[in-house]
Amino acid sequence: MRYVARRMGLFVLTLWAALTVNFLIPRLMPGDEATAVLSRMKGVNPAALHALQVEFGVNTDQNIVVTYLQYLGNCLTGQFGLTAARVPVMTDILDKLPWTLGLVGVTTVIAFAIGTMVGVVSAWRRGGRLDSILPPLLFIVSTLPVFFVALVLLYVFAVTLGWLPLASNYGLGSTPSLSLAFTWDVIVHAILPAATLIIVTAGSWIYTMRNNMVTTLAEDYVRMARAKGLPGWRIMIDYAARNAILPNLTGFAMQLGYVLGGSILVEYTFSYPGLGYLFYTGTTDHDLPLQSALFLVYTLAILICVLIADFASALLDPRTRDA
Amino acid sequence: MTTPAISPGASALIEGPAQRGPSASRRFAQAILRNRKATAGILILAVISFVAAFPGLFTNINPHAAIYDQQVGPSAQHLLGTTQVGEDVFSQLIWGTRLTLLITVVVSLAATVISILIGVTAAYVGGMADRSLSLLTDVFLVLPTLPLLIVLTAYLPSGSLTITAVMIATSWAFAARQLRAQGLSLRTRDFLEAAKVRGERSSYIIIVEILPNMISLLVASFLGLAVFVVGFAAGLQFLGLGNSTELTWGTMLYYSQQNGALEAGNAVWMLAPGAAVAVLGTGFALLNYAFDEIGNPALRPVRRRRVKPSA
Amino acid sequence: MRGSRLFSLVIAASVIAAACGSSTTSPSASGTGPGATATVPGASTTSPGASAASPTASGPINSGKIGGKLVIDNESGSTWTCQFNPYNPSVSGTAVGFIYEPLEFVNALQTNTDGSNKVTPWLASASTWSPDFKTLTFTIRDGVNWSDGQPFSAADVVYTFNALKADSALDLNALWSADGGPLTSVALQGSNQVVFTFSGPAQTYFFYVADQIPIIPQHIWSKLDQTKLDTEADTSPVGTGPYLMSNCSQNNIKYLRNPNYWQSTASHPVPQIAEVDYPSFLSNTPANLLLAEGQAQWGAQYIPNIDSFYVAKDPAHRHYWFPAVLNVALFPNLNNPLLANVAVRKAISLAINRADVSQRGESGYEPPANQTGIVLPTYNAWYDKTIDTTAFDVAKADQTLESAGFTKGSDGIYADSTGHKLSFTIKTISGYTDWDSSLTVITQELQAAGIAVTVQDEDTTVYTPDLQKGNFQLAYGEETGGPLPYYELRQMLLSSNIGSTNYSQYKSAAVDTLFNNYASASAADQVGIIHQIEQVMVNEVPVIPVVEGVDWYQYDTTDFGGWPTPDDPYAQPPVWATPDNGVVLTHLFPTN
Repeated sequence: MRYVARRMGLFVLTLWAALTVNFLIPRLMPGDEATAVLSRMKGVNPAALHALQVEFGVNTDQNIVVTYLQYLGNCLTGQFGLTAARVPVMTDILDKLPWTLGLVGVTTVIAFAIGTMVGVVSAWRRGGRLDSILPPLLFIVSTLPVFFVALVLLYVFAVTLGWLPLASNYGLGSTPSLSLAFTWDVIVHAILPAATLIIVTAGSWIYTMRNNMVTTLAEDYVRMARAKGLPGWRIMIDYAARNAILPNLTGFAMQLGYVLGGSILVEYTFSYPGLGYLFYTGTTDHDLPLQSALFLVYTLAILICVLIADFASALLDPRTRDA
Repeated sequence: MTTPAISPGASALIEGPAQRGPSASRRFAQAILRNRKATAGILILAVISFVAAFPGLFTNINPHAAIYDQQVGPSAQHLLGTTQVGEDVFSQLIWGTRLTLLITVVVSLAATVISILIGVTAAYVGGMADRSLSLLTDVFLVLPTLPLLIVLTAYLPSGSLTITAVMIATSWAFAARQLRAQGLSLRTRDFLEAAKVRGERSSYIIIVEILPNMISLLVASFLGLAVFVVGFAAGLQFLGLGNSTELTWGTMLYYSQQNGALEAGNAVWMLAPGAAVAVLGTGFALLNYAFDEIGNPALRPVRRRRVKPSA
Repeated sequence: MRGSRLFSLVIAASVIAAACGSSTTSPSASGTGPGATATVPGASTTSPGASAASPTASGPINSGKIGGKLVIDNESGSTWTCQFNPYNPSVSGTAVGFIYEPLEFVNALQTNTDGSNKVTPWLASASTWSPDFKTLTFTIRDGVNWSDGQPFSAADVVYTFNALKADSALDLNALWSADGGPLTSVALQGSNQVVFTFSGPAQTYFFYVADQIPIIPQHIWSKLDQTKLDTEADTSPVGTGPYLMSNCSQNNIKYLRNPNYWQSTASHPVPQIAEVDYPSFLSNTPANLLLAEGQAQWGAQYIPNIDSFYVAKDPAHRHYWFPAVLNVALFPNLNNPLLANVAVRKAISLAINRADVSQRGESGYEPPANQTGIVLPTYNAWYDKTIDTTAFDVAKADQTLESAGFTKGSDGIYADSTGHKLSFTIKTISGYTDWDSSLTVITQELQAAGIAVTVQDEDTTVYTPDLQKGNFQLAYGEETGGPLPYYELRQMLLSSNIGSTNYSQYKSAAVDTLFNNYASASAADQVGIIHQIEQVMVNEVPVIPVVEGVDWYQYDTTDFGGWPTPDDPYAQPPVWATPDNGVVLTHLFPTN
């Protein structure tokens, strides 16, 4: 119980820290959302500025502490107000969420599957040809900058070969529906962004999985299994891999943060209209309500995954509870 | 988003050797030189550092001279073509090396120092201080790094100084946690007990007794951070969050992207700085990988022998 | 070049030139010339649709057929929100012109022989000024219906303007006195006239009142909360315009022809294109590609290497035209002791090779500007050809500085007698990469002439207040402008605009008087006044125009004719220029 309480405490504290930083930074800097909108419209009367400031809730007369408490309250209750384009923030986010969730979710699962499999096999055949080439190669590839991988794929497959579309989430001629044609169109548009994310994340799965396997394979119970004459694949899967995968659960949560960040760059490069692109434009346009809400979404996504991973590994491996 | 995904080296080194003295470091240096990945990494970094130090040896063209034909492909005169304004891309690549490398090294060094200050102090002092510092570390560890970086760079005055500062502030946590773990394992060692009995000051003990035992971990942290910083600094600049009047590989990418280099048939302008960023990152990554192998003998590659761990 | 600058233009267009707002009490004259619009050639016709049938200078002849699907190509920067509130600056570009219409159309690209703008009556059939220019009376057109079948009337016009008064967030042009403007009342007169009363002569407000305010239906909007109209989503817009919004998704808006459009007659159906698609584009590249593939016909895009990337793929049908509307200029801070010296400002102006900046910084798309501040060729009628505007002459720049007592140091930079070097920072907006490119050229040119400059990028939210407060040395920027040179020059030079648009902080009682006299002057005298201002620009160099800002515009004549061209500049051609887009839509016709 103490463990659970402690982790929840961290959860709340981190959330508070993230929200506070996100509140303070834009407000300590000159220029508010209304000014940003007006700057783009140019030369507008100060009266209109004041009207827009009231409209955007940038009431300059209000005490900053009061504003801060209101902001925290609004974040907790999910009342984010309107974006600079005057759409409810939640509507905007929910519109874009499925695209990012699909992209990040699918790529994470694929990268995890590929990485784990290659990691297990290469550790099992340690020193073999696969082991001496794939893990180091993929590790190096995974350290390449996300946007560079995206640009190369874009250049090769979209610009030069013309095999795949170079932007957007579905084609101009398509209308959203559950039809096979539309689904196919969505998949075709997602291939390059997804491939980018898989390329930059699979390597570290392989790496950690391989190292975990190497350690596990040296354990006594694996030696015992061998002595009993069990078939190799059973030892590999049932004895070694099952245990080696455990530490990767925590990695999963950490990895999510990396993938979410990477998705911003990927969505930007491929003009993919998901949360990442929304966050990028919202921040550079100083659209505070949108930016605050999305920052909260990112923080919550990571925190919840960390919590789940913590509890999962605590359940599966009692030793970590005291760590 | 924090370093873990790309800093496997450090974790293995926590249990690493704590030998001291010249013989240990010589053995370590020999191990590095024998490792092919390390050699490749060192070679890459040496070449890039040399270019950064003496750009004038590689080109005599002013990178800001907008006097050539605009947006043309590679030729004998312009090895990597020219920009939209008519500047020489090769010269920009050469002169852009310095600031790119500087940002990477400064951020990685500074973040490593902060992680020492926080991680080692927490481990050594213990108690309430440890708990607060660990909590601080944990909070920074789970903050979404790239979104945070984007918010910070979008609002603070644009420039390398901002990028450097915000990247330092957001990237120290992972290394700090590792250093604390290593510090805890050292705390009960005899030579520290001895120093305490001698009545040495805490700062003395940390600097003279503890840190030398963490050198390999510190180097690994630095390398892991560098891999991450290279990519993210360039990523931020690519997004237009850097200062576009400063010459770095990231701002070159930004300009080429803004001017549609890929579709305008001048892909080299964009791919060259992108590849340069990738090569620099790879240099650090190779070294990091090699460090991991050397520091953790269990992971060392086994050659010419089909190994069964039980054998 | 792409990114935020283009995006900002999209939004700026919907409120082009609201800049007079902050000093609105001074009397001024209108671009339409004194008297009623009926005196303006072309305005006497009561049906603007008639002009749609007239053949364009070149290209196919309109056979009066209906059909075809036009695809618009414009980087919107975000996906569509499927809102159509014409008073929401983020979405008005997809609502005004298509669905909502103004009272009269003022063409910023076309002037009459006396220099005034060409005006076309739209929802109003005529308008008249009182002799003191304090009262403006519109006669509202009969026989116009809202797209839901309800009749349009003068009451809708009165309602619209009073809605702006009730919710000042709608009044982005600051027309009403409560918002700082001269408008004091808008009232119905008889059954079909609307009378606007101003606190002073308000001719220059004709453009904002007649052209920039889209009329909304009272029977729908009056039922909403009148203080929150600016946040109304308006997802099923009802307007008088040529198109109906048929379907909207995040990626595309589909408009269908309004079959009951008021300009349409049996012999000349208006509009003639059956369907218009307006896809959203997050970035430039995919939008450019669609144009290059020939899948879109009406572009408002910045395209690098446009001749090879776009035109060369079908030179017979693909064209572009970048009409100039504004100046992009260097603003010297006249409170800086060195820049206060006119010799320094003159030297800077002489040392900049504007043709080179245009060619390198703007790919030749934005033409070089001239020191008078008159945008050419658009406002040829206002340009004083007798003024000597020596453009690029480094020797003369040297001579100017030397005769003013400056000497070149060993570093090649000039300094005054007390050793203050001619070394300045230039502030610019981060993300405007074409400006960065231009400044790269300007920097090396000024350096060669002995003036050192360093470029400093700032976010708009920092840059704009810095310029307004005079917290800069040199700044690269532009004004909002308006339909005639008067608007831009007034924004730059009127002393009461210090703190808003007079970035240089130029103060001259004589120039203020000139601007104030503009109000009571005849069209010919207005031209004379602007000539005197041009002389001030050349003699005192309070602002240094470098290149001319343009509208991006591409068009494909394979399937459609009737496009605005340099020979027939009947409207500003980019789709985001409202309400000009509506004028273009009523001119276009299918060719097969």
